Amino acid sequence: LRRHRVEVSVELRKAKKDEQILKRRNISIHLKEESPSLGQDRADEIIQLSLEEIVQAVNGDDTQLQLLATQATRRILSRHKDPPINQIIELGIIPRLVEFLGRADSAALQFEAAWALTNIASGTSEHTRAVVQGGAIPALISLLSSPHMHISEQAVWALGNIAGDCPLYRDALIAHDVIPPLLALVSPATPVGFLRNITWTLSNLCRNKNPCPPLDAVQKILPVLIFLLRHEDRDVISDSCWAVSYLTDGCNDRIQVVVETGILPRLVELMDSPDFIIVTPALRAIGNVVTGTDQQTQEAIDAGVLAVLPRLLRHSKPVIQKEAAWTLSNIAAGPYQQIQQIISCGLLPPLVELLDRGDFKAQKEAVWVVANFTTGGTVDQVLELVRSGVLKPLLNLLLVKDSKTILVILDTISNLFLAAEKLGQTEKLCLLVEELDGLDKIEDLQNHENDMVYKAALNIIEKYFSGEENTDLEPQTGQDGLYDFSVEKQDFNF
Amino acid sequence: YYFVIFLQRVLLLVASDVDALCACKILQALFQCDHVQYTLVPVAGWQELETAFLEHKDQFKYFVLINCGANVDLLEILQPEEDTLFFVCDSHRPINVVNVYNDTQIKLLVKQDDDLDVPAYDDIFRDEEDEEEDSENESEGSEPSEKRRRFEEEVIERTMKRRQRREWEARRREILFDYEQYEYHGTSSAMVMFDLAWIMSKDLNDMLWWAIVGLTDQWVQDKITQMKYVTDIGVLQRHVSRHNHRNEDEENSLSIDCMRIAFEYDLRLALYQHWSLYESLCNTSYTSASLKLWSVQGQKRLQEFLADMGLPLKQVKQKFNSMDVSLKENLREMIEESANKFGMRDLRVQTFSIHFGFKNKFSASDIVYATTSLMENIEKEEPETTNFIKALDSLSRGNLDKLHQGLDLAKKQLRAIQQTVASCICTNLVISQGPFLYCSLMEGTPDVKLFSKPVSLCLLSKYLLKSFVCSTKNKRCKLLPLVMAAPMDVEQGTVIMVGIPPETESSDKKNFFGRAFEKAAESTNSRTLHNHFEMSIIELKTEDRGKFLDALISLLS
Repeated sequence: LRRHRVEVSVELRKAKKDEQILKRRNISIHLKEESPSLGQDRADEIIQLSLEEIVQAVNGDDTQLQLLATQATRRILSRHKDPPINQIIELGIIPRLVEFLGRADSAALQFEAAWALTNIASGTSEHTRAVVQGGAIPALISLLSSPHMHISEQAVWALGNIAGDCPLYRDALIAHDVIPPLLALVSPATPVGFLRNITWTLSNLCRNKNPCPPLDAVQKILPVLIFLLRHEDRDVISDSCWAVSYLTDGCNDRIQVVVETGILPRLVELMDSPDFIIVTPALRAIGNVVTGTDQQTQEAIDAGVLAVLPRLLRHSKPVIQKEAAWTLSNIAAGPYQQIQQIISCGLLPPLVELLDRGDFKAQKEAVWVVANFTTGGTVDQVLELVRSGVLKPLLNLLLVKDSKTILVILDTISNLFLAAEKLGQTEKLCLLVEELDGLDKIEDLQNHENDMVYKAALNIIEKYFSGEENTDLEPQTGQDGLYDFSVEKQDFNF
Repeated sequence: YYFVIFLQRVLLLVASDVDALCACKILQALFQCDHVQYTLVPVAGWQELETAFLEHKDQFKYFVLINCGANVDLLEILQPEEDTLFFVCDSHRPINVVNVYNDTQIKLLVKQDDDLDVPAYDDIFRDEEDEEEDSENESEGSEPSEKRRRFEEEVIERTMKRRQRREWEARRREILFDYEQYEYHGTSSAMVMFDLAWIMSKDLNDMLWWAIVGLTDQWVQDKITQMKYVTDIGVLQRHVSRHNHRNEDEENSLSIDCMRIAFEYDLRLALYQHWSLYESLCNTSYTSASLKLWSVQGQKRLQEFLADMGLPLKQVKQKFNSMDVSLKENLREMIEESANKFGMRDLRVQTFSIHFGFKNKFSASDIVYATTSLMENIEKEEPETTNFIKALDSLSRGNLDKLHQGLDLAKKQLRAIQQTVASCICTNLVISQGPFLYCSLMEGTPDVKLFSKPVSLCLLSKYLLKSFVCSTKNKRCKLLPLVMAAPMDVEQGTVIMVGIPPETESSDKKNFFGRAFEKAAESTNSRTLHNHFEMSIIELKTEDRGKFLDALISLLS
């Protein structure tokens, strides 16, 4: 039951995250208006073709004119500001451009056409559709095997744009057998710039859910991704990590496919990279893995994730803190053995620090860690958690505006009292909460506008703080010192 | 023009040359008349300039630099606060481009018709905003975009940009090299300062005289071309007649304390009116070199020359003041006539003289020699500031005793120079190193201490080169520049070295030794000090001299 709840909330939060990312897409580079023309074929460029002239030439029979017109089209589409993609589509020349892709007699024409189509496909879904409906998919896939590297590279790029548009086109490409020729391009001799394009296109073939990419396709791609993860180029590594993070962002079966490749130790290693653009996707991938089964989570633990997380919880970038805490929350949702590993790997101190003064979003995730911990942990483990000083920052967070977080904290407090009850230390915990001004805060929450918050707060008050204060609050000594909350009280007042 | 804003306290930093002193005098007079408070600090070199700046930067916001500061990047070496303002009046050229194009902190006082040939701003400065190519950073760490457009030949574009930039930088280096290659001098600072006073209608006769002395200093030190000298003399001559005309009404007769400036064609004989004609002939570089007085034949030639004029030796050797008045009447014409026969066609020069009352008459060059000697006086171990102040004082018209003291020193100085020149030539100390001539004074040479002073050493070098050119038969050597070295500080084991341009009639007086010294020092890791405002003067460790010269030879070959 607990498991389910956690996963739902993870799902929810993930969905939100994706939404933000979608909004952010396509804001890549904004450079100045490019200077009129640069490059080797500058001489030709002086002839500015009008759109009508382009249409005429493209539809004509003169190869030279076709080339000029295609080049002009490509130029218009590759200027930095507001390329007139719609206008070009309206010219109706896409089918001709697709035709040109097959013109093995003119490599230049193939190249220019591939470039032009790349840029058309880089626009909105409608633009991409125009390219696909023009029949570009099979033509581009055959170009992957072109003897000219710059042409196959351009084809890779165009296919990447198509694959990135939606699962439907992604699967259409896979159905057209894009994967074998694409993977064939990867070799130790491939120039790094080319390799970046291939990696990015591969990542788009792994991207998106509902549905996930076909299993057999994934299985073909994974070995190559493992190879690319060992490359030295940061962009190649980063995009490969992103690809893995897409593949692990799904049901447990999909996670299993990835885990079985034995890729986790490398991912954990990359999580520890000093390079921000590598850490982010590697952490995301591992974070996805630990949403899986206990066994899958254990694989991540065995790969050493708990040794890296303390550093990431203290990372200078808030977004890394947040993702690290999210990852930890899912490990804390595991069986008590895994919780024990969290303790023994020294994660409680950085967790308390994060709770105390981390980024707000990271704090919310940290609250989830504590909540899951108190739900699944043994009484001893919960005691250990309290001793590490978690109560004070946790109670402080009751002042936040977000009622969802407040509810989780109140839930956690209830869990703590349950544990204290088992130890017969309820009064001590009451005292402790009171001393940390927690009682006032909880009492105030009875006036909270959110009904659930009100009920949860009331519930705690009624259960543990109602009635007369016990006059005989002599510190009760537990059967053995370990269980004595007063010990951790002293810890608190240091 | 800018001096209107001078209502605050000002720090005056003045270099040690006569032109600077004259400019300083003019400015002081202006300040006095406008009640501007100022503090004067003499600076002999870059180190002193820096120290003086550091010491005073907290008390002052306005700094006036005279004959220093124009040819280096002042903001770079002084690191001033943003509200510090420099007014630079400096004849050193070329002016550093940063100084030229900085109009917030550096105000240059330059005559507008001076041809500066400063490179265009766009050729040497470039706004750095071109560098913002890596704007992708902000999206770092976020998911890769789902679609990417390929821009116009990104790679090519970037390499093109880089190539253009490289070309631009190469061109910039070339332009700057051309611009900075030669060191030379612009209009005298005293003249520039006088112009300022004149524009504000505050020009006094004293100021005009100082301007004349400043210009004459440039001529005596051989810093400007003959053309420039004659042009500037013309400018000043107009001022002189304007002043004299104005004064005629006020003071109908010459009173005892009045001064009167007169333009005249005078003899190019150093200090002759305060010396004997004979001494002056012997110790003037022009006559001494032309007659080759260091040789026996030269001495004979001098006798013949005097005989030709029909002047009795006794008259010639006694004080000029005491010479027979009848002889003096046509003296100039007589001397010129004979000089022409002996190949000295340029003995006549355009200059100015000044009368203080009836008794005292000085030519502008007399003042230059006297002031220089006071400034580089080595007779007493006194701080340089004292010499500076004395030299400055000698320029005031009330200070005749200081002036006479200066004249005496100047005679000693000229004699010392002439004797050193003679001994260098007679003992063949001037040797050709290929691309330049080289002469090194040994420790223990008479008067060697005097030549550790920059102005004296420069004078010596110029006189020596003139004489050498007259003495040698090697035609190639006649066209070579000269590098001269003299011991500077025996204890510290340093020498002072100066490079001067070739002695040709059409000489543009441009000096490339500044850059050459710099490069030679760099390439040999010699321990050198470019402390003088004149870049072609350098100080270096004696033991480094060998490798430094080797580098200089291969650099200029």
